[in-house]
This record gives sequence, structure tokens and C-alpha cells, in this order.
Amino acid sequence: MNTFVNQFSTSSALSVIKKAQAVTDDDEEFSDAAWGSEAGFGSLAKGVPSFSVPAVQDPTSFLRLHTDDHADPNCRIKIQHGTTTLAFRFQGGVIVAVDSRATAGSYIASGTVKKVIEINPYLLGTMAGGAADCQYWETYLGIQCRLHELRNRERISVAAASKYLSNLVYGYKGMGLSMGTMICGWDKTGPAVFYVDSDGSRLKGDLFSVGSGSTFAYGVLDQGYRWDLTDEEAQELGRRSIYAAGHRDAFSGNTCNLYHVKEDGWRFIGNYDITKMHYDGPGDVPGSTKVAYGYDVRVEGRTSSNPPVAAAA
Amino acid sequence: MFLTRSEYDRGVNTFSPEGRLFQVEYAIEAIKLGSTTVGVRTPEGVVLGVEKRVQSPLLESSSIEKIMEIDTHLGCAMSGLTADARTMIDHARVTAQNHAFTYNERIKIESATQAVCDLALRFGESVHDEEAMMSRPFGVALLIAGIDELGPQLFHTDPSGTFMKYEAKAIGSGSEAAQSELQDKWHKQMTLREAQVLTLRVLKQVMEEKLDHHNVQLAQVVPGKGFEILDEVKLKELVDEM
Amino acid sequence: MNPMNTAAQPQQRQFNPYTENGGTILAIAGVDFSVIAGDTRQSEGYNIQTRYAPKVFRLTDRAVLAVNGFAADGNMFVKKVKQRLEWYRHAHAKDMPLHAIARLIQTMLYGRRFFPYYVYNILGGIEDDGSGAVYSFDPVGSYERETCRAAGAAQSLVQPFLDNQIYFKNQQPAPGTAHPAHLPLPHVLSLVIDSFTGATERHIEVGDGLEIYVVLAKGRDLSGLEGFAGLQEVSSRSDGERIFVIRRELKKD
Repeated sequence: MNTFVNQFSTSSALSVIKKAQAVTDDDEEFSDAAWGSEAGFGSLAKGVPSFSVPAVQDPTSFLRLHTDDHADPNCRIKIQHGTTTLAFRFQGGVIVAVDSRATAGSYIASGTVKKVIEINPYLLGTMAGGAADCQYWETYLGIQCRLHELRNRERISVAAASKYLSNLVYGYKGMGLSMGTMICGWDKTGPAVFYVDSDGSRLKGDLFSVGSGSTFAYGVLDQGYRWDLTDEEAQELGRRSIYAAGHRDAFSGNTCNLYHVKEDGWRFIGNYDITKMHYDGPGDVPGSTKVAYGYDVRVEGRTSSNPPVAAAA
Repeated sequence: MFLTRSEYDRGVNTFSPEGRLFQVEYAIEAIKLGSTTVGVRTPEGVVLGVEKRVQSPLLESSSIEKIMEIDTHLGCAMSGLTADARTMIDHARVTAQNHAFTYNERIKIESATQAVCDLALRFGESVHDEEAMMSRPFGVALLIAGIDELGPQLFHTDPSGTFMKYEAKAIGSGSEAAQSELQDKWHKQMTLREAQVLTLRVLKQVMEEKLDHHNVQLAQVVPGKGFEILDEVKLKELVDEM
Repeated sequence: MNPMNTAAQPQQRQFNPYTENGGTILAIAGVDFSVIAGDTRQSEGYNIQTRYAPKVFRLTDRAVLAVNGFAADGNMFVKKVKQRLEWYRHAHAKDMPLHAIARLIQTMLYGRRFFPYYVYNILGGIEDDGSGAVYSFDPVGSYERETCRAAGAAQSLVQPFLDNQIYFKNQQPAPGTAHPAHLPLPHVLSLVIDSFTGATERHIEVGDGLEIYVVLAKGRDLSGLEGFAGLQEVSSRSDGERIFVIRRELKKD
């Protein structure tokens, strides 16, 4: 088992890797379980996932050499990166809003990424950093939360779920995982948001934004945030903040996915095109003022066919 | 039953000259000391029922847990050494979740049952250089009920690691009488309601105490809602109807 | 040159088990069909190693996997996926559904998170509900279900074309009409062929041959496929989902 003792007994990343190497020394050697009813859970066969590691002096720098596109844009394996995500807690629950762009280097690999990971009906996780890291570990968190629920006849708290994830990724510290995520949900204590990242940080808070576009999102978010926001106002604030990031950050954009967590679990509110929000606004949705976020404010009054509001009145 | 006791009834990994594994057979005997447990399959879902032996008026009957959830579509009732069943059910739960993680789908009922039976066979065995994890066979039998793409199903497992599919099955101390009653009363087009009532009637017949909503527990797996342990209100209603 | 000099130079060695073998793959999902295609050229640098190295593989009667990137890793990966599908069939007495294969591929790719397979995977086929589906993966296993996806050397040439022709990006429908949500099979096939002839024209690593796999949902007739030159059926039975291959030549210069 991946106990705390195991996880924390070593301090350097290298020794952790060496240990991983010992476990998986023969590349993907499956246990007998692969043939039986356990039918090859593959790297999961030993209960916790195990990983193949190259047999080199320093596997971490091997991985960096081939995958880190910040250090070397010409490296071969492009892992999807770049994001704006935000989540905040308010009187009516938790708002989670994200963009949908994935970039590999400067190429837009996808404009339709689901960056909100539905861990279970009452827990959401967001995706920033390595797409696979977030998807894989938050799905894994999902089954662990379900086991917690079955064993304890009680839903896991957001605090416990986020701590589980934090401990999990801390076990791989220094090995090249990259994730910045917000675990959001509603438990006995009410709405809750925890920020967890692959460096080992775990922070409880009211309001977070993560990713390359977070500074832009924070700008809008901070000036509009109040605890007693109505549901509609809060949803509009989430949308508007992601729009701002999509507009100013080259690594963010395409569309905004909006979720609202309430006492009875999360609900998907909608998907909004960022270009559309710029020119026409988010459309006729709750909380919307039905005006364009970007275009009108810039061009209003520039031509006689488009007079300023005051003059038109 | 076994008049010729010999040294062959000690080791879990030694056959007797007649080709028997006494410890496994004794383990199967242990189940016959357990409380009666009944499972009934219908086209509408599967019903599980257990007798709760409340040995003392000071005992909190709600703390007797003999029906457990494995996953939303999968439940399980036990008879015998219930402590052993915890290990098996936890294994089933972990297997079900691992399957969901690896394949993004619910595990089939038969596959989950197979996994439990694989575990049941691990006594006296050590894999590679690992220590053997168990010293004796499990002393418990399970009725595993669930719904998958093949419809509602009911499986019975025993300490030998054998599993079989049943339309209706009774295990535990009153199993013989209960099973023949099931054989008489079960029919192919049973409704869920009929199955619930049949389960209670069969339990009533074999129980020493008078059956009420405190000393039995009923659970069902139905399409949509999945596994559910019936609460006391629903149970009382059924007991009254019977 | 003084041999002593070279020895005195600092030397750096790196373990580099990867190479890039060019080529392009793409997949498009329809309502009740899925098309998965790839060229067959394999190259290293400016050298063409072979003109026929398949990059698209039939996994089951309803799933086809295309792999692109480092050919050795790709072939190994497909082999391991097929092995896992076989184990699954023995353990659970059924073929693995498409969405399950997608998740399996994620876990297999992620199992090599610290020593990645240098492969871009696109999985196409038919879901349990009979709909056509395409899943695309990054090398370490993040995945997403999409309607269409191109990957490989000419990804940046082909994907914008598909965005325009399939998602109708930057197109305005004629007044009073709407863009169709799903395209018919003959239309999709001609888009696939155009994508590859176009990529062959403009990318040195694409060409030689084209393999197009077509997966049809259970009970769907062959309309849209009849009359295609070089059509070959590769399904194991005729009463379930059916798979066909169309092989075409591409320019060889």
C-alpha cells in the first residue's frame, strides 16, 4: 500500500525514483493477477498505480529533456499545457469556471478540452498544468472517494479528498508531475474550495484562479467578488473572468465551461464561446446583462451608425 | 459426518487419500451455523433477505450488518463468519472500483463474483516470495446480487471458491427448509413485490423468533436505482402485508 | 588535430531512445459510422525507410486505433493494447466496448508517465449506443471524445481544413439554412482523401499510400461505400459492427 510511511520515508526525488525502478524493474512485468479475474488492471495491479522508469542515472532530467516545452520548444513529446481556471466560494455555493484551450508549444492542440473533471456527483476538480496528470489522478481520486463512501457509509469531506490528492502527488514530488487544481464541493461544513498542486501546496480559501491566464481572471474576479453575490451574479462573474483571461492570455481561450456546486451536488450551467462573448455577450442567460463584453465598449461612439448610449437616448 | 478423523483434517493444503480437503469442508459446515440468508432473482430485480439474530435485548439490532453494498449496481448478503466477509467484500469493492477506473464501465456481476472467489482460494498459498496472506479458508458464504448488461443476476459463493448462478438461493442454518420452499414457490415471471414477500415468508418459516422489522433485513438491486437496503418503514409495510 | 585536444573537450551524453517517423493520421466520426485513416510512408529525417508501414490497426469489430509518432513505440503500444483486449475478452466474456478501450489506453499511456511512449493515438469506432466516436490522446494519456481529429506531421495542415469542413468554422450558413450536424459517409470519405492528397502535396513526410478504415454501426447498410475501388471487408462477422478498408495510392515523390 501507498502508506504515509512509504511516501515520506525518503526525502530526495531520486531515491523515490530508484524505489519506483525497483518495483517496476522489469518493464511492466504483470503479476499473476493479470490472468485472473483482476484481468490486467495493468499498472494498477498492485493496488496503487506503478510506473515504468527509464534505466538511466537521472530519470527526472531524462523526462525534462524530452517533454518540457518551456525549456526547449523543439523537444519531441509535446504535453498539453496552458489554461485559465477559477473557482470561488460564495453564499450560494461554489462557482467553477474554466477555458477550453489546450496548447502544445504554440500549436492550439484543442479548443474543446473539458477542464472541469467530474470526480463524482458532488465533487469537481479543475485542470491546469499537465492535462493527463490532472485527468488521471483526479479520476483515481474519484474511485478512492467512492471506496471511502462505501467503507465509512459517509461521503468524504472536501478537505479529506483534497488532502488525499495532495498526499498522493507529493509522493511524486520532483519527478515531473505538473498540476494545479482546485477541488470544489459541498460537505457538512458547507461550500468548500481547496487548491492543490504538484509541488505539495494545499490551501483552503474562498477564491482561487490557476493557470497562465489567472492574473487576468483575478483582475475581474477580485473587483466583482462579494460573499453575498446572488447565484446569477456569481455565474456571470465566473463567465466574465474567464472571458477576460481568454481575451488577454494567448494560451487561454476558445470557450468557457461553467459549473455551479450547490448542496445537492454540482450542475453544469453552460458552455460559452469567448469570441461570441466579446462581440455579442453570453446571450440570454441568468445574470447576463445581455451586452457584449469587449466590442461595444471599445467602438461605441466611433461612427454615426453606432452612437454612444447617452447620445442615442 | 466425518467419522474417520485423521491428520489430514489439519493442513489446508493437504488432500486426504480419498481426495478431500477437510478444512475446506469444515469451512462449508461453518456456514450452516450462520443465520439464514435468502436471495431471489426476478426479471425486475434481485431481492436479498437476512435474519438478524438479536441475541440480547441490550443488543442494538441496527449494528448487525449482514447485507452490504459493493457498488451502486451490486450488493451482497452473507452467512457464516461475518468478519471474514468484510475482507471479501472489501476486495470486491476495490476490484469494482479498479475496474471502473481502468475501463470506465461498471464491472459485470460474474466478474466481481469471480474476483471474490479468487481471493477465497488464496489460503495457505504464497505468491512468489510474499508471505501467505491467509492461514485458513474463509468461513462464510455470500449471495451476490446485481444488475449488468445481462440483466438481474444472483450468485452464490462458498469457501471452496466455487460460485454458481441461481434463480433463488438460501444459505445458513435454515437453508435446507428454505431452499425447498423457494423451489416450490419461485416462478419465472415473479414481480419484485412477490419476491420481497416470498423472501420474508421463507425467512419467517425457518426463524425461531417471530419475524418483525427489527430481526430481518431486506435489500434489493433494481434497474435505475441500483442497490438499496430497505428502510424500516418499507420493511414494516412488507411485514404487515405478509 | 592533436588527439589530446578532443579528449580534453567536455563531453555530454544523453539517453535518447526516441525518433520521429513522420506520417499523418486522422479520424472522423459520423452518426452511425467512423472513419480512421493514415498514410503509409515511414521516414527518418529526409530518408524514406519504407513506403508501406501501416499506422492504422483494427482492434475489435468496432474499434480501430491509429498511432503516429515514433514507429517502434507505436507498434509496441498497439501490440500491448491488443494483448490487454485479449485478456479482457477471456476474463469478461465480451469484446471491450469503445469507451472502455479509450480509458484503457489512457491508463496504459499514463503507466509510462516517466518514460513516455512517443505516440499520438487516435481511436475510432462505434459506441455501445451505436453512435460513431473518435477519441484522441496525447502521449501521456490525456484524452477527449471528439468529432474529428488529425495528428502527426501534417496535423497543422489537415486540422484547420477539417475545422472548416466538418465543424464549419469561419463559415456562415446561407440565410434560412443551417450547417448539418453530421456529414454523410461519401462526403466524409472524400474529405479524408482530399486531406491526404493535400498533405502529400505540401508535406515531405506524407505520401506513398493511404489506408482508410470505415467502421459501420450494427445493422447499417453499406450505402456510401458501394462502388469504392479497393474496398475490402475485415470484420470477423457480418451480423455486428462491420469494418472495411479502402487502400489508395498517394504520390511517391
